Amino acid sequence: MARFISRRLLLSLITIWLLATIVFVIANVLPNDVGRTILGPFAPQESVDALNQQLGTDRPLIVQYLDSMRRVVTFDYGTSYVTGQEVLPQLAEAMLRSSKLAGLALLLTIPAAIAAGLYAARRRDRPVDRGIVLLGVTSSSIPEFVTGTILVVIVGVQLGWLPVLATPPPDADILTQVRYLLMPATAMAIVYFGYIARMTRAGTIDVLQSDYTRTATMKGLTTGQTMRRHVLRNALIPTVAVIAVQVGYLFGGIIAVEKIFNYNGMGQTMLFAAQRKDIPMLTAGAIIIGIVYMLATLAADMTMAWMNPRIRLDAER
Amino acid sequence: MDYPKLDKVRRSAVPLQLDVVEAFAAGRLSRREFIQRATVLGLSTGAIGMVLAACSSASPSASGAAGGTTGGTIRIASQKPVSVDPVAMQDLGGYGITAQSFEFLCTLNSKGTDIAPGLALKWTPNADGTVWTFDLRQNVKWHDGTAFTADDVVATMERLVKAGNSGLKGVLPPGGAVAKDPNTVVFTLSGGNGNFPYLVSVFNAQTLITPKAYVAGTTLDKVPAGTGAWKLKTYNQQTGATFERNPDWWGGKTPLDGLQFIFFDATGPMVTAYQGQQVDAIVQFDVLSGKSLLTDPNFSIIATEAALHRQIWMRCDTGQFKDKRVRQALAYTFDRPALIQQLFQGKAQLGNDHVIWQGYPYFDASVPQRAQDIAKAKSLLAAAGVTNLTADLHAGQLLEIPDLATLLKSQAQQAGITLNVKVESLDTFYGAQWCPKTPADPPCSGAAELGIVDYGHRATPDVYLNAALKSKGIWNSSQYSSAAFDDAFTQFQTSVGVDAQKAACTKIETILNEDTPIGLPYFYNYLAGNSKKFTGVYSSALGQMIFSAASKTA
Repeated sequence: MARFISRRLLLSLITIWLLATIVFVIANVLPNDVGRTILGPFAPQESVDALNQQLGTDRPLIVQYLDSMRRVVTFDYGTSYVTGQEVLPQLAEAMLRSSKLAGLALLLTIPAAIAAGLYAARRRDRPVDRGIVLLGVTSSSIPEFVTGTILVVIVGVQLGWLPVLATPPPDADILTQVRYLLMPATAMAIVYFGYIARMTRAGTIDVLQSDYTRTATMKGLTTGQTMRRHVLRNALIPTVAVIAVQVGYLFGGIIAVEKIFNYNGMGQTMLFAAQRKDIPMLTAGAIIIGIVYMLATLAADMTMAWMNPRIRLDAER
Repeated sequence: MDYPKLDKVRRSAVPLQLDVVEAFAAGRLSRREFIQRATVLGLSTGAIGMVLAACSSASPSASGAAGGTTGGTIRIASQKPVSVDPVAMQDLGGYGITAQSFEFLCTLNSKGTDIAPGLALKWTPNADGTVWTFDLRQNVKWHDGTAFTADDVVATMERLVKAGNSGLKGVLPPGGAVAKDPNTVVFTLSGGNGNFPYLVSVFNAQTLITPKAYVAGTTLDKVPAGTGAWKLKTYNQQTGATFERNPDWWGGKTPLDGLQFIFFDATGPMVTAYQGQQVDAIVQFDVLSGKSLLTDPNFSIIATEAALHRQIWMRCDTGQFKDKRVRQALAYTFDRPALIQQLFQGKAQLGNDHVIWQGYPYFDASVPQRAQDIAKAKSLLAAAGVTNLTADLHAGQLLEIPDLATLLKSQAQQAGITLNVKVESLDTFYGAQWCPKTPADPPCSGAAELGIVDYGHRATPDVYLNAALKSKGIWNSSQYSSAAFDDAFTQFQTSVGVDAQKAACTKIETILNEDTPIGLPYFYNYLAGNSKKFTGVYSSALGQMIFSAASKTA
């Protein structure tokens, strides 16, 4: 297992280096004048040149690249080009907010989706199964910004049941925070419910049809025992992989939902940085989201290896 | 006319003030223009009232919002500030936050249209407008309890001059501000300037007076300070800020206990937040995303008339618009009232293809207003020998501009002009179409032959004239070069009297309308607003919303 984990960690480091390089290349290949972007189109050219010199963005690209890599290794991302504030504390705040939203969304989605998938699989081709499949396809087909907007209009504005902004007042208690986050989390949960439920259903049907499940049933195990000891462990492997990918996405890719609910998580922070060519913020944010992806994937790999030792053996070979 | 009263003011006025008084008495200035100019030139409120009383039966209007209750907090939707460094900030979000704690020498009047005494009670120019003396308000304290003095003003001005503040550059030299005594500052300018009080007012957003101990780069969130009505309590650049009442404010006790700013990246969610009753006021919105607010009976719209406008530049030096008849022809296709109605639901004023906005005291309304005249446009094109004119109309993806481009296209079509609308991201538009970096001399000589560019509000038109229209101006994308215009602009800059400024503006308006280097179809209003649960809120056109007199409606 140690060899398995160390191989995964090594691959993760290489991926992060590639990620940092790609972010740097994209940020510098696109039409780019950092000073002009920050000061705006009407600023005098001499002010723009002075700012570029101050930020070091007028240096040769290779020098900037090496500096950028040094910052990745030392985890020193310096200050934002735009706000002049330290990058990491700002990202830490954004990350904390994203964690809360993603955590609540996963909490709403995973138990319901797995339960629905299992329930449908055991009642394959019956009306309830078809209903769950239809619900899953429908919910995952509607983008979260559509769901979010509908929720805002109906639940927030017309009914006034929940706040339309996701950011709670300063010093809000946990229950208040949950209340503020409930609507955006629900918008996200509706989309992911479909993916996870369908994946669970497919995996379970596959395992229910396998020889070892039939053997377990024939040797006299009850349905509950068969499900717990043989089906769940194998049926949920693809589901775990899907959830791992969704975790990474939930942390960095939910810009639309964050925008609708005016929630300053990683998505909005990264968008703000990208629009203003705030390269330190953009690089650090991409690395952090990359690390979250890596950790989620690593956790999924380890979980799958624990659930099915053949996966671990294959990887070690 | 009550001459004894008028003479009383005449005897105490300095030459520039006298010039305004005489212009009003002779009917050359409207009441509004007189009040604006007299305030700028430092005529006291009592003297202004006396002149008004002497010249008409009307008395100065009494101000004051309807009474409300005390206590409570107002929640304000604001753009996310990029910076709250009073000297270096460049965005409306930053202007709105810093202006709650810090104050200007000349603040905003309660109509949001002009200046009024702020930290300076009175300002007086010498005869040629080269030296201005500002009498400061006494017994003003900083939030930490220390006394506000002239030294704070001098130090602030030095920081601004050193930082190259765009309004003060070339006007106030280093060392130009001197403390005569703790309550008086004397500004010795590089040359005569009749508009100087505007340059140290709310209309030059960085000129907030900061403590002497502030250094360049100090931000409000790191070192909360100020003399204003509100003390910064919490600040988070991503989410919002809160302010509490300054109990020692010179203006007295504010009706509200505090302010809560909530930051947004876009207008749409601000409107939704208001509809969901999570904010009470919106610092700025546009007609397109805030359409529902315009018809909301529970929302008070603050529509501040402003010099905000779009310029449709046409290259004068090369290409299809080189002949001024072709430029005039395109301008004659504009259906300005229809544009104002469709794009702003009427919340804009007509433009006349020049940058002298109707709100400027030196605007001359006698220059004939250009209106849509398709027959004339066709005849101008024919006279210029142009048939089947086809051009690309470049525009940035900003607010109503893409819609404006589409409407202009359909209007131009009536005169046989084909415009191909090319909408691009703002970065690409500014860098590739409006004012490319190269060739650098003359500036903007790489600009497209036709495009639409946005201009913000300015308290005086100097920037529009100097940068966009003067020969070799740094934003002169039409490459307009006219000795007559340059002379008229110089005349305007060096004029300090009302009559002289107006005379220069008449020339400027006439020349620009005739030469048509730019089409300018409208000046649109700055829109802000608040729930009718609150009263006494007003706003500038630069994102500064004022809450010192705001209260909950009874």
